[in-house]
Amino acid sequence: MIKVTNFTKVYRLTKKQMKEQKVQDHKKIAVDNISFTANKGEIFGLLGPNGAGKTTTLRTIATLLKPTMGEINVEGYDVVKDAKAVRSSIGFLTNELKMETHFTPEYTMKFFGQLHGLNLETIKSRTNELFEYFGITEFRNKKIGELSTGMTQKLAIAVSLVHDPEVVIFDEPTNGLDIITAKAVTEYLQGLKDKGKLIIISTHIMTVAEKLCDRVAVIINGKKVADGDISSITTMTGTTNLEDAFFALYKDNVKEVL
Amino acid sequence: MLWVIVKKELKRVFSDRRLVFSAFILPAVGIYILYSLMGTMMGEMFEDRDQHQSIVHVYEAPTSFLDYYENHKDDLGMKMTFDHDDFEADLVGVKDGDIDLVVMFEEGFDQKIMDYQDLVQVPEVKTYFNPSEDYSYPARNKFVMQLLEGYELAMLGERFGNENYAKAFMVDVTNDESEVMDESKAMGIGLSMILPMLIAILLFAGAMGIGLDTIAGEKERGTMATLLMTPVNRETIAMGKLIGLAIVAFVSAACSFIAIMASLPNVGGMLSGGRDISITSLSFTVFQYVQLLIIMLVLVGMYVGLICITSVRAKSIKEAGTYVSPIYMIVMFASFSTMFTTGEPALIQFAIPILGNVLAIKQLFMFQLGMDAFLLSTIVSIVITGILILMITRSFNNEKVMLNA
Repeated sequence: MIKVTNFTKVYRLTKKQMKEQKVQDHKKIAVDNISFTANKGEIFGLLGPNGAGKTTTLRTIATLLKPTMGEINVEGYDVVKDAKAVRSSIGFLTNELKMETHFTPEYTMKFFGQLHGLNLETIKSRTNELFEYFGITEFRNKKIGELSTGMTQKLAIAVSLVHDPEVVIFDEPTNGLDIITAKAVTEYLQGLKDKGKLIIISTHIMTVAEKLCDRVAVIINGKKVADGDISSITTMTGTTNLEDAFFALYKDNVKEVL
Repeated sequence: MLWVIVKKELKRVFSDRRLVFSAFILPAVGIYILYSLMGTMMGEMFEDRDQHQSIVHVYEAPTSFLDYYENHKDDLGMKMTFDHDDFEADLVGVKDGDIDLVVMFEEGFDQKIMDYQDLVQVPEVKTYFNPSEDYSYPARNKFVMQLLEGYELAMLGERFGNENYAKAFMVDVTNDESEVMDESKAMGIGLSMILPMLIAILLFAGAMGIGLDTIAGEKERGTMATLLMTPVNRETIAMGKLIGLAIVAFVSAACSFIAIMASLPNVGGMLSGGRDISITSLSFTVFQYVQLLIIMLVLVGMYVGLICITSVRAKSIKEAGTYVSPIYMIVMFASFSTMFTTGEPALIQFAIPILGNVLAIKQLFMFQLGMDAFLLSTIVSIVITGILILMITRSFNNEKVMLNA
């Protein structure tokens, strides 16, 4: 279970960043006092435009960033006080996940498995299972640098799932993936959900969210503007699909004309 | 867990043929070829100088000199001519390098030698040479040291009526044991000129290239975030990288060191300030070897810490390279400055990081390293390495530094 309570994240901008973003203030509020709960056995989606604060929220859940205010609990562990325990129970996937191109997929799996404290036997069976599922088996002894983009992405996913985590955090799951890989990934996430795992994703592609997520939270400019299952959100906005619902929410909360 | 990370760092370096070539083989081969080439070329230069027949023009040569020269010219290898009349043109010739030496004897030279009573009446020989020409200065040296010295002796003999009267005493003619020294210590002093400096610089250079890549490179490529997502202590990750890098630095320095030793026979006295050096005649005790190893270990610890902290703070390899170059300069400066110091350094100098360590190596080679100096430099290095490690792990926990957030 992930429990986010009154979570706020403020970045301090450097002089250069202030100049780039044309702002006078040193502080930039990326996420403003949001709360939500995601439960086991469901796929929870954070929806919002670019820069809304989705990635910041996911990174904080994954202990890479620290909350400025508020609390985040993952599987009963606090992300600040028990960061190590949180990292053991989550798999954090992002398209920015990079691996040393000099090593082979096989070695990379072994290395990260060992860092997660798994024994060699478990690593071997997990590797076989994940490689089989994502079709990496025949490339397992090639250098990562020689693999195709799609294969590298699949491997990155396999690597972050080597320790069979209870919670899977996935930042923009299908962004930049080729269509075949994207399908394999979404199917795998469905399978994880059926096994009772909790999956939390962020996306700005509403069709992906509609197809994949059981419940969503819509974040605009760092603030949560709605959450619930998809039908309750469409009902609330008086629309027929999630995309229209999102635009309706956006219009209500941002003065900008669409 | 620490070992898993160290092993990965080492695998990264040693399984990459290009890295192995550029970090270990290339510098070693480069050093060997460069030093051997320099030694050979210097040897050839001296030989060429020795074989060159100097062109000397002599004015107003007295009869006694002509006679003396006639008897000794075979050992000199000089082409001396006496029938010139344009002195000014010859000076231009010296300037242009066409003539190696012009010599002018005072008028009435022979007579003046016989007659003088006062020092002011002593006749003079004037030489004109060009120090910026390869052959001119050696020609002048040979002329004055070999020819004129013997000639002066002969002339004194003539004045005294017997050549032997011109000598009052001899120095070390029958004394074969004039040089009283310990072979091993002499060798150590020879080596202490150059080796501490080389060790200090090679260790840093070995760690630098790969060190920037292991942290700044990982940040730049995004592989660092992947590593930070594992439930491993940030301290462990930092230590793993430090230890891996230290091993790489040692291996790299060892390769270069072997290359230097291998090139010594070709280099001759160039590295040792004129002495023939061979590492075999240097005999250290086991304790001294242990001391040397400890000094090198703590020095590497400090280097690796410095390189890591700059890499952690930088956003890219390029930026890290910019930060690390002033540190490299300081290392070079500290190393070079020990090359020319003589006498026993004050104890407080050993407390200066890097300089103290290089001094300690130097004193060790000279068999003069006191226990207090050794301990002082070692403890200072360990403390500094500790502070650096603390700063590195702090940075590893800093989201702004690690994720550029």
